[in-house]
Amino acid sequence: MKNNKKQKYNNFNKTLYYYGENMITLDLELKDIPGELIRALTPISNMGVNIFSVIHLREKKTDGRVPVRVVISDAGNRLNEVINKLEEMDIIITKVNETTRKTDIDIVVVGHVVDTDVRDTIDRLNKYGLVVDLDLSMPDPFKESSARMKVIIETDKLDDLCKELDKISEEKNLLFIKSF
Amino acid sequence: MKVILVGFGVIGKGVVKVIDKKKNHLKSKYGLDLKIVAICDRSGAAIDENGLDLKTALKVKEETGKISNYPEKGKNMSIVDVIKTVDADAIVEATPTNIETGEPAKTHMIEAFKNGKHVITANKGPLALYFNELTSYAEKYNKIFRYEASVGGAMPIINLAKETLAGNEITEIKGILNGTTNYILTKMEKEKLDFDTVLKEAQELGIAETNPHQDISGLDTAAKIVILANSIMNKNVSIKDVKLEGITRITPEALTMANKSGYTIKLIGEVSENKLEVGPKLIPIDDPMNVKGSLNVAMLNTDLAKEVVVVGRGAGDIETSSAILSDIISVYLRTKNE
Repeated sequence: MKNNKKQKYNNFNKTLYYYGENMITLDLELKDIPGELIRALTPISNMGVNIFSVIHLREKKTDGRVPVRVVISDAGNRLNEVINKLEEMDIIITKVNETTRKTDIDIVVVGHVVDTDVRDTIDRLNKYGLVVDLDLSMPDPFKESSARMKVIIETDKLDDLCKELDKISEEKNLLFIKSF
Repeated sequence: MKVILVGFGVIGKGVVKVIDKKKNHLKSKYGLDLKIVAICDRSGAAIDENGLDLKTALKVKEETGKISNYPEKGKNMSIVDVIKTVDADAIVEATPTNIETGEPAKTHMIEAFKNGKHVITANKGPLALYFNELTSYAEKYNKIFRYEASVGGAMPIINLAKETLAGNEITEIKGILNGTTNYILTKMEKEKLDFDTVLKEAQELGIAETNPHQDISGLDTAAKIVILANSIMNKNVSIKDVKLEGITRITPEALTMANKSGYTIKLIGEVSENKLEVGPKLIPIDDPMNVKGSLNVAMLNTDLAKEVVVVGRGAGDIETSSAILSDIISVYLRTKNE
């Protein structure tokens, strides 16, 4: 019993050290479809980078996307290579360690969403981020409609997106209700 | 401690009721012998340097609508003259708020400071428009200026931030600071009714005012966020600096859309380093800011304590008077040894 405890304690210490010195966490956002996780992990493994653990952050799941935290060994100067490779494959990396790279924002739009050229609205938002979901409700063609969208955006582009939203809002008389 | 009550409407009457109810409690717990030596309204004033009888004052006001009808002690005196001539430690300013000019409350407060009286108020108009001017008068005449009741009614926020959270740097404040709009949005969401229908119902129930413009346009929230920005975050801003959007365009469909993404819609006032705005925002369903009905809520983001959230009743005569009473006690405790 005593020995068991000691053993556990040692392992615990080792883990702390291990994590503190060598760990990099990547927060990914994957589509909730079969094969997505393996698609994301294979290139990391192929580069010879050790994967310590994969944690599903299911409690944060939103709109068919699953956040997954992947803990890998310190890839040194290969970290950028890993990031580039994943992003080339359209895998969304939201966080590297504590640094937020990309964030999800949700927007509800009220106004004549369709009549004011919804394609143009999306294109203009796509200059700063990526509109990934769009849902539209038009109860009456003559009344104002509502839409909701999710935009994935690099955190440093948020201010620019806000300015663009203000501009579109003024031009098209749309009300953007934001989650941030 | 002697106090002059300026304004004898809903809030003024609430203050009198609360003081009357708590008289013995104040004496036994704090050693505070609180006397209202004058009550003023549009008609004039009732003055008694030994303290007015509060039940009589309420009865006179209720029956005749005029405090100047107070037996023997009623006078046709202007409010400013009362502030100047009646001996008192403090005034409680509770006249109707004016968000465009801040008057006549601003004049009452300045006259009080000039005449050596502390000021306790629930009046957000002058605070939102002339905060720095008013605090500089308080400093110049070395008097205490307390205004907890001006934001969030009974919900503690200003004194919480300045006293309980002292030492923290407060980097962001956001919250629902208007109960009427929260009531309307909550009802629209729950019953899938449109804005106009719910507004009418709220007016019938007395939750929304006959002229609801200040609430639904976000102006009332803007005044409050400006007070918080200036008093807690040391900014120098005015209502005109607030980016403003009301809730009149919110539809039940928009609320359903928000729900589908895991959010609700609330009218949020927000101040941070580069932000001073009021507008409808998406708030996660499970967020502590998602409070229902006519409740108010505020979140303070601080460097040491991190997020602190307070919830409370943002309106009501007794609730607002609770905040005024706590300010009166605080003035008493700070000055009793002087």
